[in-house]
Amino acid sequence: MIGKPMLKVLGILLGLGVLMACSLISPEASFAPTHPQELGAGRPVCSECHSTDVAKGALKPFASFDHTTSFVKDHRFQANQDLNTCASCHAQSFCSDCHGGKVPMKPSLRLSGRPDREAPHRGDFMTLHRIEGKLDPSSCFKCHGRANNQKCQACHR
Amino acid sequence: MKQRTGIALVTALVAATGWSQEISVQGITIAQMWKQETPGFDKATYTPATQYLGIDATKLGTDKLSLHLFGWGHADLGDSSVLGGSKSGGYLSYGYLQYQFDKANAELKAGRFAVNQGTGFEQVDGVSARADLRGGFTLSGFYGLPVLYRTVDSLSQADYKFQRDIIFGSRLGWRSTKGLELGLSYLQDGAKAAKDLHHPSATDYTRKQVGVDLAVTPTTSFDFRGRTIFDMASHRAPAAGVAEPSKLAEHDYTATLKLGGAVAVSGTFVERNFFAYFAGTNLPSLFRQDERDLFRAWGGKVTWAAAPSVQVVADYRRTHRETYGDANRAGADVRMDFLEKTVLAGVGAHWVSVVDSKLVDPLTPYRSLSHREVRAWVLVNKGKLSASLDGIVQVYDSGNPYVVGLRTVYEAVGSLGYQATSSLKVSGDLAFGSNPVSKHETRGLLKAEYRFGVGKKGGQ
Repeated sequence: MIGKPMLKVLGILLGLGVLMACSLISPEASFAPTHPQELGAGRPVCSECHSTDVAKGALKPFASFDHTTSFVKDHRFQANQDLNTCASCHAQSFCSDCHGGKVPMKPSLRLSGRPDREAPHRGDFMTLHRIEGKLDPSSCFKCHGRANNQKCQACHR
Repeated sequence: MKQRTGIALVTALVAATGWSQEISVQGITIAQMWKQETPGFDKATYTPATQYLGIDATKLGTDKLSLHLFGWGHADLGDSSVLGGSKSGGYLSYGYLQYQFDKANAELKAGRFAVNQGTGFEQVDGVSARADLRGGFTLSGFYGLPVLYRTVDSLSQADYKFQRDIIFGSRLGWRSTKGLELGLSYLQDGAKAAKDLHHPSATDYTRKQVGVDLAVTPTTSFDFRGRTIFDMASHRAPAAGVAEPSKLAEHDYTATLKLGGAVAVSGTFVERNFFAYFAGTNLPSLFRQDERDLFRAWGGKVTWAAAPSVQVVADYRRTHRETYGDANRAGADVRMDFLEKTVLAGVGAHWVSVVDSKLVDPLTPYRSLSHREVRAWVLVNKGKLSASLDGIVQVYDSGNPYVVGLRTVYEAVGSLGYQATSSLKVSGDLAFGSNPVSKHETRGLLKAEYRFGVGKKGGQ
């Protein structure tokens, strides 16, 4: 049983903690929750308009968010560090096209009318996975290691 | 989360959209049909229908509060198209309330949401918070129940549920105005180890990971990013004479240098120790920690904007897996757009040359995993019509044990779409192919996409 003096100490500590936490919060305005202008078709190149700007919050040049081929393939780094920058243009459902704990069909089938998007597993990946899986099973693990592997379990038991 | 609790929560979340001043609903209905005749098996006709549904409701009483839901359901009108024989199913990908503050990029989330911290993608039923702090620091964290998936059998499922009883994690980052970001993160998935079971299991479904991430972007022409992840869980002592496994799960780094406005050169390095990297898998028979294997790769890419509407990418990657050998992967892609992006097109070719293959098949070792791949596609958007054609061909070496003597495997997909109204688009696909399972394959797919409301997000 905690005594009254201990409760007082805990209350004071909690109050101080909240006050300290509030004083620690940055006074800077948040990054825009939505991009103010609608973007055209194709992959956006942020630095075409934001040539010298630094993205607020991310504190990185907008050029590092240019949607080049490298960016699209390595977007995991940006998603880890600067998710709110991604969120100004992309709804969470855009990520869910590929990244889901369970998806009912492979992303390339779901996006079959969008060959411009880098949807994984195009073509007969069922054959190819036996080779790719041997060369690098860690690339399979990212999506199928802990989730989304019910179909894998049909053979890999 | 129990099914009844989940249904009640989702119902409450959907009902909450009634308070919204701005609501956006996106849905996609996909109907497929294919027939399969495989020697030795019964003939089957598959007609699965899949429905995706997403709701984004903003300004729930206040401008800062919003609700986001996304999930799917499917039903088989013919034979069951999924493992286990079930003819219907569904899944809630996410469903959460979000409160975004005006300052400090601060936000709170509650419900089912995704976290992409650590080695992968986590789904959590719980709460999360993030905020920028003074001095360039940023702090985020989450806490809740892990979303559970299926394991291979019911006994493993019981162990899996027992062990994955909680998930939480946090990341502390620091950003300088000179273009440097450093991050330190921790993730714990499950608090009960396999040894705590009534019948101790050999499989540990839990994880404890510490990650370090880095970004160096001092100018608009240079970008270096990456992360290193360690497995911090204590494991059973290895057998006598077997070395202690490495705690290093992953190194993953990429550097990009832009030369002028037209050329960018990037280099990557990846190393993964399977014992540490595969920690927490729910499919240990496939992602085998006991192999103690190591994967390492390095490579580079040159991107050249040959003209304002033409981008050429040449890439090379050398991969090394201790048990299976080395491979060289090289190729090039060209992406183009014409008529103010009314027409987008691409063509690419890649070679995978295995230089030191081992153990491909225990009975017939040293067979090559080498292959080549060519892909070409075009997408046209003109007024209310859209059309695309996408062809991919893979050519394997003779003697490859996985292609039953076929050598060439291909698939071509044609798609035609019509934007009937501003909210509704209908489209149809026809796919032809040849592969080791079906010498000739034809598949059809009908799709209806609709979007109501004011939401603009969602990507192109």
